[in-house]
Amino acid sequence: MNLALLSLTLPLVGALLLILLRPAGGRWVIMINLASTLAAAGALHQVMQTGTQWLELGGWQAPLAIRFQLSPLAALLLLFTAGLHLLVALYAARSRHAIGGEDFWPLSCLLQAALAALWLSGDLFNLYVTLELLSLAAVALVALAGAKAYRPALNYLLLSLAGSLAYLFGVALLYGRYGVLDIALLSELAEADVTTRLALLLMSLGLMLKAALWPLHLWLPPAHAGAPAAVSALLSALVVKGPLYILWLLWSRIAPVELAQSAGGLFAVAGIFALLCGGWSALRAPYLKTLVAYSTVAQLGYALLALGLLLRWQEPSLSAALWLFVLAHGLAKVSMFLAAGELQYTLGSKRVRALKGASQTMPLALFAFAVAGGSLIGLPPSGGFLAKWLLLQPLFQQPQHWPWAIGVLLGTLASAAYVFRVVALGFDRARPTPASFHPDRLAQWLAMLPALLVWCLALISKPLLLWIGGVSQ
Amino acid sequence: MTEWLLDAVLALLLLALAGGALHARNRYAGVLLFIAFGLVLALIWARLGAPDLALAEAAIGAGLTGVLLLAALARQPAGSGAEGVSFARHRLAAAAVLVPLLMILLQGLDPLAEQRSPLPELATGALGQSGVSHPVTAVLLNYRAWDTLLELAVLLLALLGARQLGPARFEVERPWPLLRAWSRSLAPLLLLAGGYLLWSGSSAPGGAFQAGSLLAAGVVLLRLAGVLPALRWSFWPLRLLVLLGLLLFLAVAIACAWFGAGWLVYPDGWAKPLILVIEVAATLSIAASLSLLVVGEAREASA
Repeated sequence: MNLALLSLTLPLVGALLLILLRPAGGRWVIMINLASTLAAAGALHQVMQTGTQWLELGGWQAPLAIRFQLSPLAALLLLFTAGLHLLVALYAARSRHAIGGEDFWPLSCLLQAALAALWLSGDLFNLYVTLELLSLAAVALVALAGAKAYRPALNYLLLSLAGSLAYLFGVALLYGRYGVLDIALLSELAEADVTTRLALLLMSLGLMLKAALWPLHLWLPPAHAGAPAAVSALLSALVVKGPLYILWLLWSRIAPVELAQSAGGLFAVAGIFALLCGGWSALRAPYLKTLVAYSTVAQLGYALLALGLLLRWQEPSLSAALWLFVLAHGLAKVSMFLAAGELQYTLGSKRVRALKGASQTMPLALFAFAVAGGSLIGLPPSGGFLAKWLLLQPLFQQPQHWPWAIGVLLGTLASAAYVFRVVALGFDRARPTPASFHPDRLAQWLAMLPALLVWCLALISKPLLLWIGGVSQ
Repeated sequence: MTEWLLDAVLALLLLALAGGALHARNRYAGVLLFIAFGLVLALIWARLGAPDLALAEAAIGAGLTGVLLLAALARQPAGSGAEGVSFARHRLAAAAVLVPLLMILLQGLDPLAEQRSPLPELATGALGQSGVSHPVTAVLLNYRAWDTLLELAVLLLALLGARQLGPARFEVERPWPLLRAWSRSLAPLLLLAGGYLLWSGSSAPGGAFQAGSLLAAGVVLLRLAGVLPALRWSFWPLRLLVLLGLLLFLAVAIACAWFGAGWLVYPDGWAKPLILVIEVAATLSIAASLSLLVVGEAREASA
């Protein structure tokens, strides 16, 4: 547990010192993150040996105080957060254009601390506070892009506040009904009455709005496309996963089974729609970063589908598919946004059309985009393939589940279509767009690093399944 | 009977002020009605037996938010926006969403009247070991201190976020002589009241947030009267003041985890002094953050 606390405290203290002393941020953040990643890895190793650990903050018993819960999944997500932040920081320290301003460094550290606090928390109200921290940090990061990003940032802020309020109302209802806020205690008490239904409905709506799950996703493309490249990578890979985690906790732990089963169908249908609509919008998007942002909407559909089917059939193995999707999508999306930022900066245009001939002018960045896209499509042996395989297995076993598999197939085709749209343009070598200046090779390699890692996920699939599977029992 | 009448009048007044603030013909009137709304809401909290909330609502909801709104209004270019335009269709749409929502909410709230939570008794039962005698302070700074620590980070993030919006200069016009004289005599009183609220927080309603916002009100007043120099983010002691509460809180948490029994577990007998130190630091930080939000100058004088 102490290692997990270290992984949480390092970025928090680091951010405060960065604000106070204002050194040149990049190097320090990389060092902080390296330490934080190592601490999270140590915590994961420990928790795999001892099993889930609890920490009662302040030494008070559970209903009175807040509990931290360090499950293997929480430890893995800690590692994932710190590791992704490290990858983004490595790129951002090299490419100054991708961060928007020196305030990027403390803000991104605070973002990481907020997420770490979120993964560890086992208390509904404390989760609300971490959600607030998370969205304020995200909004401030979007605003780093300057005046043109103010409107998307403001819309993001207002919608995210509305989501927070709905969630808070739900928490208040649950507290009024059961008198406790601790998730483990609530899961024993919860019944399927009117108040609980209403609370779950409000909390789910709020969280879906914050996680940009279809049909409440409309704020996401402008905000993610308008932010600086490194910020978009963090937002897409990490921030939307926080509310998703709470949604998963809520429905798989607290909600009574009969409610979860009926809501599961709705979630799954919304997931299919997200896949199709997000994919279609990505295919039609005129700007490169908007395309990548819509692909986030589509990919979150897989996670939503896995969550819905998990609840509908009460099939715990699907939660492994859900979290693998989150990990694989996070790594792939970081790479995609960083590559998109590098392409857009060097070629001097935001349009997808400007990528003509990028395979000649910037082969590395285009390759990074394609490799990350391969994982999003689900080509073996990438992390995306592993997740999709886990999702499809229970679908294939029974013939009455096959319609869901058709939905997944259509979603896969859509993601293949938008990835190949970009790649095909890149190989159109007649009259390529010239680079504005000499492309930065190291930055492109750094953008490719996460995509290479996601293809390595298959190599460690066995321990990975063990870490994630530890939760579902 | 009279109590019932008072409650009914307060409730109706609150609704009327809310409607007025939303539908006012011009923005200035809307802001003023919103401030009045905050004050009535504070009264209602007091009637409901939640004096802590009443103090916070009056200081933050009515006072500082009002100043922020007025400051935003002053920065609007004259004659911009849609003064006096009514959005009939928007209102209808809002009503179509909100009325059914309200019906559903009432249905869900209704069964809660009989529920009793075990937590208040637990909280009062453990007061003896918490180091303070006021249950709200015990919850905020002992039982659920982690929430409060994160709330301080929320305030810091709000400040950092507002900073990203670029150099919005805060113009102090030549202060009115009466304002100058008033602020000189009012500021010490606000300081005194803030100190009292902070100290009384351990045994009665009050505490860091309320005291901090009172102090911030004093700072804003002095700044508006031109008595204080510009508050700049690039001045490092000011940044230290903003971060002080969070840094100290974290230092206590880490020290408790490293040398003591665990994360935020105050050692025996140390709870009261530690809580007091944290509260003082948090008050200063809250006051500094709120005043920077209202009258801070984002422009960097010297990097």
